[in-house]
Amino acid sequence: MRVVDSLEQALSNLWKKKLRTFLTTFGVVIGIGALVSMISFGQGVQYNVTDRFQKLDLFNYITVFPAGKQSPFSGERAGSSAESPRSVLDDDSLKEITALEGVESAFPEVRFPARIQFREKTRFSLVQVMPAAVAATELVKLRAGASFADDYSLSLIISDSLLTEMGITDPDSVIGEEITLLTLMLDLSRLNLSDMSSLFQNGKLPFSEQSHRFTIAGVAERMGFGGPTPLRSDVYIPSGTAADIPTISLTSIWDFFRSSGSADEYSMVNVKVDSPRAVDRVKAFAEEKGFQSFALIDQLEEIRTGFVFMDMFLAAVGMIALVVASLGIVNTMVMAILERTREIGIMKAVGAGDGDIRKIFLFEAGLIGLAGGVFGLCLGWIVTTAINWIINGILARQGIPFVDYFYFPRWLNMGSIVFSILVSLIAGLYPMQRAARVDPVVALRHD
Amino acid sequence: MFSSPLIETNDLGKVYSTGRIQVKALDGINLSVPKGAFLGIAGPSGSGKSTLMNLLGGLDTPTSGSIQVAGRMVSSLNHKELALYRRFQVGMIFQSFNIIPAYTAKENVALPLLFSGVPKRERLRRAEAVLSLVGLEERKDHRPSELSGGEQQRVAVARALINSPDILLADEPTGNLDSRTSQGILNLLQEMNRTQNLTVLLISHEGYLLKKYADDIIYLHDGRVRESEAVE
Repeated sequence: MRVVDSLEQALSNLWKKKLRTFLTTFGVVIGIGALVSMISFGQGVQYNVTDRFQKLDLFNYITVFPAGKQSPFSGERAGSSAESPRSVLDDDSLKEITALEGVESAFPEVRFPARIQFREKTRFSLVQVMPAAVAATELVKLRAGASFADDYSLSLIISDSLLTEMGITDPDSVIGEEITLLTLMLDLSRLNLSDMSSLFQNGKLPFSEQSHRFTIAGVAERMGFGGPTPLRSDVYIPSGTAADIPTISLTSIWDFFRSSGSADEYSMVNVKVDSPRAVDRVKAFAEEKGFQSFALIDQLEEIRTGFVFMDMFLAAVGMIALVVASLGIVNTMVMAILERTREIGIMKAVGAGDGDIRKIFLFEAGLIGLAGGVFGLCLGWIVTTAINWIINGILARQGIPFVDYFYFPRWLNMGSIVFSILVSLIAGLYPMQRAARVDPVVALRHD
Repeated sequence: MFSSPLIETNDLGKVYSTGRIQVKALDGINLSVPKGAFLGIAGPSGSGKSTLMNLLGGLDTPTSGSIQVAGRMVSSLNHKELALYRRFQVGMIFQSFNIIPAYTAKENVALPLLFSGVPKRERLRRAEAVLSLVGLEERKDHRPSELSGGEQQRVAVARALINSPDILLADEPTGNLDSRTSQGILNLLQEMNRTQNLTVLLISHEGYLLKKYADDIIYLHDGRVRESEAVE
């Protein structure tokens, strides 16, 4: 029996029982739809974390910070004893790090609070200093405009979420406009250490405000995920320009008390290396100097293991519907055999081999699987797109940027159809065997 | 004319066991049918006529004895070989026609070719040719429900003949037909027997029909051959 003929036979048999075929296939559609939705969610999370990090080169970043300082990521306090002399992370160490083999650039994480004045609106925000070379990388996803021209330009990059907060929706409209940063600086002349209470009584804080004018060079998308990325602010200014702005670095209250006025000490240095191998070099250097370091790549294995477990769990949940659907296939096909016993008998009487009968039923199961796979995948797309819209719609109100929570890699699209056919064929094995074993003598007596 | 026999059975037996009860459907049948013969098989119901047909048609296997067709031991063929035997060496027609209701006359006739991998166009072309041989070219695109009993049986005959078998086994082919239509079908079988040297085995209740068409008649009773008589 030729493949075309088996296919035609199977199709016409399925077509004869349209409702039943539809219902059985629909079961598979739901099963595959559930499965791909689950897996695409797992893939989406994975994509948003590792793949995106990889694309942004985040595995090539390492953060160095002074020992004893609370790690900004783990939350645990690294063991530093009071006796050991505290190493100072200053410009000298920055130079040493930059000189290490494989280090592309090292820039201190300098952030300071400022009031942003733009179009008669004022917002309080953290301003982060960033070398022009880093700002020009893919790390900064520009929605409009461009990065700073150089390290000394009087331009800045602002995040779209800050603009949204100010009620501005069109990022292109703000490019080239003037914006004012009001920074605080410690005014020691106002500080009367003998009477701290006066600080609070007359509202005379020991700070003075300075205003700096910038033009908006670009609007960047705010990273949906904070943590290990070197971008943690809404406003970025070039490093050269930043050096001329006297501020207090107030990323943590510890710095305020610890730094003891030393403007050169950094709370954190972001290091960009050219390959993950160089990460170890930077780590060794940091350890030798008594600094602590954090590299995302160290977490990668742990993250991956976590994802495998998550994927397995999601797939197991998704499989439930598919198992139920495959029982539906078995049921439908056994019914079909009962109905078609006489037909099978006739076919055998005129010379059909067991293999021919098997082929017809196997093709029927396979076709159900194919249709179930294709439409199940479509259902998965539709459902996940809808969920994605809803979630993003809700989160957008909280200023969280749009993220695709579901991701369909090519293997998932192809694999779900292949898997659907495979599961259906397995479900069709028993009915197929049963059909092939029909005794023609009995079948022809059958009414 | 009758040289070496086309069909030869040797002590052929078939026992059906249902639970503890064993029924001897056939008990020591020795047949020798030459090529081109028209053999009538008579006997009351339950005498084993249909069982004999099923064994000769390769639908069932004997529990004892042997069947040889054209020198081949049919009783020892495996499943796959039996399917090929049914496809190419024998054609069967039944009292209840056994044609597929959803197929047109042409598609029913073409069915055996499906399993040999003959392309569709070729299948239908050959089916049409055989349909015109049995006088049904006008009805080729009708479904069984649109055909009379006699026409349905002609479709079955055409289907049985499409692979040009050596033997045609007819199990009460006229049981559901009126006498005029019955004679039409049997005339057709006789014509095939005479013009194409087709060996025909005909089971019938009706002795007068057997006497009219068969060269030779065997009588079955309780699974045994009682007597054999030649027709003048």
